[in-house]
Amino acid sequence: MAPDVSLAATPHRRLIAHFPWHVGFLVLTISALGVWNLASASRSAHAPVWISQSWWMGAGILVALGVALIDHRAFQRMAWVFYAVVLALLVLVHLKGRYVMGARRWLTFGPLNLQPSELAKIAVVLALAAFFAEDAERRREGYGLFGLIIPLGVTLLPAALILKQPDLGTALIVVAVGCTQLLFAKVRWVTLLILLVGALVGGAIAFRHLKDYQRNRIASFLNPEADAKGAGYHAQQSIIAIGSGQGTGKGWGQGTQTYLSFLPEQHTDFIFSVWAEEHGFLGCVLLLLLYFALLASAVDIAGAARDRFGHFVAIGVTSMLFWHVFINVGMVIGLLPVVGVTLPLMSYGGSSVVAIYAGMGLLANVGMRRFVN
Amino acid sequence: MPLIPPSAPGAAQKDWRPRLLWASGALLLSFLLLVGRLYHLQILRGEEFRGRAEENFVKEIRTPADRGLFFDRNRKLLVDSRPSYDVTLTPYFCGRGCDEVLDRVAALVQMGPDEVDRARAQLRAARKLEVFRPFTVKVDIGREELDRFLANQTDLPGADVLPVPHRNYRYGSLGGHLLGYMNEVGPDELKDLNKGLSQSASPQGPYLLGDYVGRRGLERRFENELRGVDGKERVPVDAKGRLKADADSLIPEDQRLVPSVPGDNVILSLDWRLQEYAEKIFPATAGVVVAMDARTGFLLALVDRPAPDPNKMSGRITAAELAAIHSDPLQPELFRAIQQHYHPGSTFKALTTIAALEEGVFHPETSIFCPGHFSMGRATWRCDKESGHGWVDFEHALGASCDVFFYEAGAKLGADAIAKWARRCGLGAPTGFDVAGEIPGVIPDAAWHDAHIPGGYQRGMAVNLAIGQGDVNVTPMQQLVFYAALATGTIWRPQVVTRIEDPDGKVLQTFEPEARGRLEIGKSTREVVMKGLLAAVNQPFGTAYGSRVKEFTVAGKTGTAQVVKIGVHRVKSENLPYFERDHAWFAAFAPAEDPEIVVVVLNEHSGFGSSNAAPTAVGLIKKYMELKAQDEAEHAGAPVAPAPAAAPAKAGPAGGAGGA
Repeated sequence: MAPDVSLAATPHRRLIAHFPWHVGFLVLTISALGVWNLASASRSAHAPVWISQSWWMGAGILVALGVALIDHRAFQRMAWVFYAVVLALLVLVHLKGRYVMGARRWLTFGPLNLQPSELAKIAVVLALAAFFAEDAERRREGYGLFGLIIPLGVTLLPAALILKQPDLGTALIVVAVGCTQLLFAKVRWVTLLILLVGALVGGAIAFRHLKDYQRNRIASFLNPEADAKGAGYHAQQSIIAIGSGQGTGKGWGQGTQTYLSFLPEQHTDFIFSVWAEEHGFLGCVLLLLLYFALLASAVDIAGAARDRFGHFVAIGVTSMLFWHVFINVGMVIGLLPVVGVTLPLMSYGGSSVVAIYAGMGLLANVGMRRFVN
Repeated sequence: MPLIPPSAPGAAQKDWRPRLLWASGALLLSFLLLVGRLYHLQILRGEEFRGRAEENFVKEIRTPADRGLFFDRNRKLLVDSRPSYDVTLTPYFCGRGCDEVLDRVAALVQMGPDEVDRARAQLRAARKLEVFRPFTVKVDIGREELDRFLANQTDLPGADVLPVPHRNYRYGSLGGHLLGYMNEVGPDELKDLNKGLSQSASPQGPYLLGDYVGRRGLERRFENELRGVDGKERVPVDAKGRLKADADSLIPEDQRLVPSVPGDNVILSLDWRLQEYAEKIFPATAGVVVAMDARTGFLLALVDRPAPDPNKMSGRITAAELAAIHSDPLQPELFRAIQQHYHPGSTFKALTTIAALEEGVFHPETSIFCPGHFSMGRATWRCDKESGHGWVDFEHALGASCDVFFYEAGAKLGADAIAKWARRCGLGAPTGFDVAGEIPGVIPDAAWHDAHIPGGYQRGMAVNLAIGQGDVNVTPMQQLVFYAALATGTIWRPQVVTRIEDPDGKVLQTFEPEARGRLEIGKSTREVVMKGLLAAVNQPFGTAYGSRVKEFTVAGKTGTAQVVKIGVHRVKSENLPYFERDHAWFAAFAPAEDPEIVVVVLNEHSGFGSSNAAPTAVGLIKKYMELKAQDEAEHAGAPVAPAPAAAPAKAGPAGGAGGA
């Protein structure tokens, strides 16, 4: 019908009508709570990070709108190019990256600091979606072991580069997102079983190659009380902060664990503890409800997607959001070991904010085209 | 036309549905899991974590209680605390430059090499959060050093001065042994002290490493009373233990401060005017002057030489200075009045007199011819006077201190009888004085000699005992108690603390005179002893006749305790090496008719009691009488006299004290 929907120059009236406003509302609400929460978390710091976070949010909204307006089929074409560029950037990080606290995660372009691993999540989502869009159709009976070589490779290659930075959290997210997409592409039960066993064995081998601090974190997760001043310190202090929030919390700006720096990395990975300490169980349930609503909407969009590529993109973005929320909250409340995973829209960090907003833009993109043919 | 052909929608969507259902289920379950865990942490265990969060950031800073003060009987302040400054170093703030900062500090406040080493070791040992904790590198710096430090502080990151009250012994080594001193509590001692505290239900908190504790003397004896109860200041700190003054509001106002309770004050029976006077007139290098109220057993003055300065001992004395004290042959750390015993010499003749009369070997009228020596078997003992005293009775023998008279008595009595009466007079056992570490002295009977002397007991040994030589040993405090008993008939437990008062002056505890027993001797025996003691001071033949006074009557006895056996030739004591010279004793009381004050003087290695001990004792008694007259004039009309002096003595002077 419409001759040219692939260009954003002429936004289609029907597209705007189908824009998933509820997703936008949820994203903006969580973002606002995130800024408000950061303002409390950074009381003790010299730089009020909530201001720069707001700027990043603004930038994120622009990116999301831009992404939403371009027909996602254009992304399908560009998926592999984008993937290749991101891979190149990941390699570049290893060569020219900036060291921050023993890890090489940042690239500096003039005034801009870029974290290619954040882009890698999106790149993998797009590349796999592009792959499955065409390939999955040919394999109606499901994927066997050989069929998975390419999608697994697409996932594990950037994950391995990220793991070497080292950034265990992001690598895990990339793998989790890739695997989720893979599951949605229909995998044979036998293959699934083999993969599961393989993952366990691989995990065991990987554990032996983990950095000491990473291994300590896992050990201290299994027994946090044993080393309350060492590796288990973060986890322990986080749980104290959360528990001490009790039913309704200590109130905004009243969190002692937050203000007196007992929570390390309280602006980023442990931001949920700040929220939980100051707003209590009620606040936590409210925030989780917002995330749940967002994720449910995202699943809804994936289900209603018009085409395979859109479907797999939506699934990828949804799983990215889900794994971020689940792993972050899980680790902060002591259900999972401490790995560096941010809480989307709540944690401070420009690259992360922009990446999440870009993902949301993709989601909206798919959502608003569900009736377009 | 789209560049990429769209995939067929309908069939694909049908394919997704079961997987999306699975996914929605997993999503719901995951969130329920998170909410369930949050419910567990925040609702079920919320109270517990609230408490732990508070433990995290509320730091209790101890505000040390002011230690109790020492006063003399006239409320003269003897020991208090003065503001002083300690230099501390916080490893975190000097970082890698700590060694250099320490060197600079050491130069500014003059630290010895051992102090620097000690600080350096602490610097190295600081781990984890300890690096934020300041530790003391130098205690109690002087005014000048403080100025120098402050002028240079910008070059000394991590170094700080802390105001810390320091024990101030206002009169230095005067009364030093009695007052004692404080120093840092040891790790083992810490455990014992805190165990005791936890069992005693006292409100005092536990001792911490680095705390000072009463180490010797009354500081130790009254540690619990003097210590007080430390206060607490609850302040907010951040994760690194740093004070966050702006987070005050996180702690409720009524929970921020628990004030400290100062320790109780100790009121001594000493009259510091007498103490200072005794210090002034006592010529000895080493020795003891101790004066007691004969009617109560409370001490009036106690000079004990040499004594280290408690101010020094309570600070961080350098290893070199401590080594010098330990290796000093005069043993300045020894509290001679109760921790050292000496031959009583001729002062013991009063005891031999009692034994001889009570055992019936002599009569009050017994006279003996002194030819200047005494023989028994093949052995011969010389009298103090080589030419001999001629015919002497008790009065003359005690007054002129004739040895032969008492050799005779000793030979007739035997060691057991002498020992029996010595014990009955309170000798041979600790007097029960307030300060710990008292020794019992030695009162040797036959069994003692059998056990300790090769060859066992010989009769000749009793001859030596009778004049206070041989193996009999008494402490100056025992001597004092014995002569007080001769004066009043009561064997006192000597005391020096009359009251414990709280900081507002409310009396918490009063110490009453405490009699350990009575001197059970016949009236005639007492009269004989008294007559002899009066003769020693007041008769021309008396050994202390040179020290007599007109205004009141002094009764007393000189003594010379041999340290080295007299050789063939008598050598003037000035010509002997210091440690071979004899000790001079003088024990006296006055007024003889109604004794109020007893004084014992022991002048170590000074020669004869008459010339080197008696003048101090009599001078002190004179001063006592003067002060008494002066006080009475001042208090004329005032109904209440100073407490201990006015305390009713349980036992008055025994019998009619025989005048000269």
